[in-house]
Amino acid sequence: MTPAPSPGSRDPVRRFYRALIRFYPRLFRKKYEADLLLVFDDRRREDRYRGTLGGARLVLFLLRDFAVSRPTSRPPGAPSPLETAMNDFFRDLRFSGRMLVKNPVFTIAAVLTLALGIGLNAATFSTVSGLLLRPLGGTHDPDELVQLYRHWPGMQYGSNSVPHYQDVRDRTGDVFENVAAWQFAPVALSADGRSERIMGLLVSANFFQTYGASMELGRPFLPDVESDGPGAHPVVVLGHGFWQTRFGGDPEVVGRTLLINGLTFEVVGVSSPEFKGPTNFADAPFYVPLMMQPQIDPGNNVLEARGSNSMNVIGRLRDGMTVEQAAARMEGVLAQLREEYPAYEDQVGNTLVLQSEAGIHPMFRDAQVGMSAVMMAVVGLLLLIACVNVANLFLARARERRREMGIRLSLGAGRRRIIQQLLTESLLFTTLGAGAGLALAHLAVRFIGSIRPPMDGPWLFQIDLDGRVLLFTVAVSVAAGVLFGLVPALQTARPDMVAAVKGEASERAGGSRVSNALVVMQMALSLVLLISSGLFLRSLQGATSIDPGFADPGHIVMLSVDPTLQGYDDQRARAFLDRLLAESVALPEVTGAGLTTHIPLGLSGSDRGVEIPGYEFAEGERSSLFYGWISEGYLEAMGIDLLEGRRFTRQDDEAGPPVIIVNRRFAEHFWPGQSAVGKVVNTAGEERTVIGVVETGKYQSLGEAPTDYMYLPLRERARFGVSLVARTPTDPQTALRRIREIVREADADLPIFDVRTVEDHMGTALLPARIGGSVLGIFGLLGLLLAAVGIYGVMAYSVAQRKRELGIRVALGADRRRVVRMVLKEGMRLAAIGMVVGLVLAGVASRLVSGLLYNVNALDPAAFLGVPMVLLAVAALAVYVPARRAARADPILALKSE
Amino acid sequence: MESTKALNAVLPLTPTVYHMLVALAGGPRHGYSIAQEVEELTDGRIVMGPGTLYGSLQRMQAQALIVETANPGEEGTHVERRRYYEVTDLGRHALRAESARLLRAVTVAQARLGT
Repeated sequence: MTPAPSPGSRDPVRRFYRALIRFYPRLFRKKYEADLLLVFDDRRREDRYRGTLGGARLVLFLLRDFAVSRPTSRPPGAPSPLETAMNDFFRDLRFSGRMLVKNPVFTIAAVLTLALGIGLNAATFSTVSGLLLRPLGGTHDPDELVQLYRHWPGMQYGSNSVPHYQDVRDRTGDVFENVAAWQFAPVALSADGRSERIMGLLVSANFFQTYGASMELGRPFLPDVESDGPGAHPVVVLGHGFWQTRFGGDPEVVGRTLLINGLTFEVVGVSSPEFKGPTNFADAPFYVPLMMQPQIDPGNNVLEARGSNSMNVIGRLRDGMTVEQAAARMEGVLAQLREEYPAYEDQVGNTLVLQSEAGIHPMFRDAQVGMSAVMMAVVGLLLLIACVNVANLFLARARERRREMGIRLSLGAGRRRIIQQLLTESLLFTTLGAGAGLALAHLAVRFIGSIRPPMDGPWLFQIDLDGRVLLFTVAVSVAAGVLFGLVPALQTARPDMVAAVKGEASERAGGSRVSNALVVMQMALSLVLLISSGLFLRSLQGATSIDPGFADPGHIVMLSVDPTLQGYDDQRARAFLDRLLAESVALPEVTGAGLTTHIPLGLSGSDRGVEIPGYEFAEGERSSLFYGWISEGYLEAMGIDLLEGRRFTRQDDEAGPPVIIVNRRFAEHFWPGQSAVGKVVNTAGEERTVIGVVETGKYQSLGEAPTDYMYLPLRERARFGVSLVARTPTDPQTALRRIREIVREADADLPIFDVRTVEDHMGTALLPARIGGSVLGIFGLLGLLLAAVGIYGVMAYSVAQRKRELGIRVALGADRRRVVRMVLKEGMRLAAIGMVVGLVLAGVASRLVSGLLYNVNALDPAAFLGVPMVLLAVAALAVYVPARRAARADPILALKSE
Repeated sequence: MESTKALNAVLPLTPTVYHMLVALAGGPRHGYSIAQEVEELTDGRIVMGPGTLYGSLQRMQAQALIVETANPGEEGTHVERRRYYEVTDLGRHALRAESARLLRAVTVAQARLGT
């Protein structure tokens, strides 16, 4: 017996098909469900699909049918879902564009605010990444590179001597593939008839292999430059940049020669453009084999000197080796070396640092990271303020548009569509803000990249907006967009529709609480920012007002030469320096001149141990004191006051009795209450008699406490790199030109360096304070501007909302001045709360930065009282303008407006 | 001009659509009847399941090759619940154009194969 012609709904095959139909697009199912089932029933009645076996066959047939049928999900002529989404998006975009043009003030405020926040973030991040995060360019697997430092009492990241380096290299083959060494070396370089002093690099033969740096031309050094012993191979590899600028990118440069400290070197290769050398802050001009060091710097052979620590050592880990394994191996090597050379290695330990984590130098890393963190925190704060600001602007506008939203909702617009629209709008603003911000960042980065330390050197600050920075900026701006797009969006999407349409949305509720909180937050953040920058500005002021101990540095010029670099012997050096000094003093532009080995407030300082007869150094008291060699005329030229005794003369030379001049602090330290003149100082095995006492100045940094200082007569030993200082009452540049001519006439090949006024030279000492102060100052002013815009926006909006209420008050006879006062009071209440919160936060923040300040108390009253005053005044102005407008409003118009 | 443009938009026809139009060329039919006719026309090579059938009808309707129409007076099970379709002028043009194309192809093929 065959089953019923129409098996009905109990047929499992039919139930299966009903279920299957559910997976068709809704629109298709709605229209054709009945027809599909009718056709199913027709099929089920066909002979081949009848019964259980037929049913099974039908299931297979239906599954295949389901898989191959492609019904569309939309009504005829309707766009695809993607098209719908795109259409919606473009409609939203067009609408947002119209809103943007319609409210130019809002647009400018919002975009500018964001541009500042994003732009400064991108610029700061670029700088930090350029100096700290960037892997060394042009190297192979930089993650395998490890810097090897040594530490001993008083030194955390010490260098290595050449013999020590060689021992380490030869005994760590199991953990390191290669161990290389390098150091900067100032040399005089002549090529094509031009001569200059330049920072080259002395490197081990395996230097390029260790870094995995490739060559643009020629070859790296071969192992025989080392194995053949010192001086065997006068060869040089040029840096790519130097090859471009100095040799015009000459493709035939390999085989050409150049003179380094008077010695002929043959060019064997040019490094690849990506490899700028072993550091992130310099573009190495050229590399000379370490084995040539005795030839380049005769009389200072470091190759055999186990006590002369000058080399930076870097190892490349073998595959699969970790820093910990390498450190363990290094401990083993050190234990051996301690037994072999107890005098040199006894108190020494190893420190291994991954190259990628070393930054500029691990010694500066903490300070660098600290300063970078402060900067990042500041710009983060600024971005936060900017976002709060924009959120506030958007919030105010969203409430203004509450009625519009209510109407749209009641007309059937989906909540999702409205949120989508608002998000599109905020993303459009963020995109514009990010674009403007990137332009701003680009300018800022170009500016930062052009800053050079006031010292000659192959500086290179590779700070540019790279992909990482771009990613960071985009992430920040999208986060900002969502942050300030979503809060108002969520708020607007659930208004009380009826009330909104009627224009009665209760303004005292939720929304204004949020924006009041935002104003408070903004005031607080701005205050933190402003007080921090105020502290830095005060610190800069403090630093510049410090008396360096010499007069009018803008009219002292300086110029440095190093006759030893040209291989001068003692006599020739003396003759040269005599001539330089005599002819400089004779210049009509110069009123006084002298020579010195150390110009104060540079980066270098030398100290030596002293003994004072009758003085017992206390435990832990520093007995090694700073000193400099000076010629006659130096103290006069610098304007350093003589307090007692006499200055050096030409006769204080190697033939005369050993003499010394000390500063006031030195004299008061060792001979309190007595005259220092005639007293004896023992130093470097010599007994020197004090002949004069001069005023105490600043020697290492402007922030230092008064320091003991000694002057020794330069004429005793002439073989030094020295600086000439000359006082000129007229234009410093003229004097400098004339002095340069004197040097050139005496020896055209002698390089001249550090040519500038002493004031510019002092810039080094002021650099951190100056950069910190000016950058934070600018940030602080921007923060103030943003805060003012924010408070104004919120108050203006709140006043506009209360127009009706204020109008009634005026109509009922309230004094206009009282209305102004009332509004002012409300606005200032918010400002005051923000101020209190901000002061507390700033107190905490100032503790964190106190280590970076010169001469300023972390709770500096000028910053902690002055800044809030300024901010309050700005806030008052921002509140007053809308308050006055409210009081001026015609009460009749105000009442009729809704 | 307009009709040429509309025609080009729907040509060439898929074999299924072609045979469905052929089935409808004789007069209005309901879905299952179209499927049966197509099966017969193609010697059982094209057997349309419900999804394929209505998916195609939906698309053909969107392309204006066919329109829904009233029951021309058929009787049988559930006729009152069935949708009937008839071919439009555009559908007829498309069928004609596609047939001519096939005919040309068949002629050429026969000439070359020497049948």
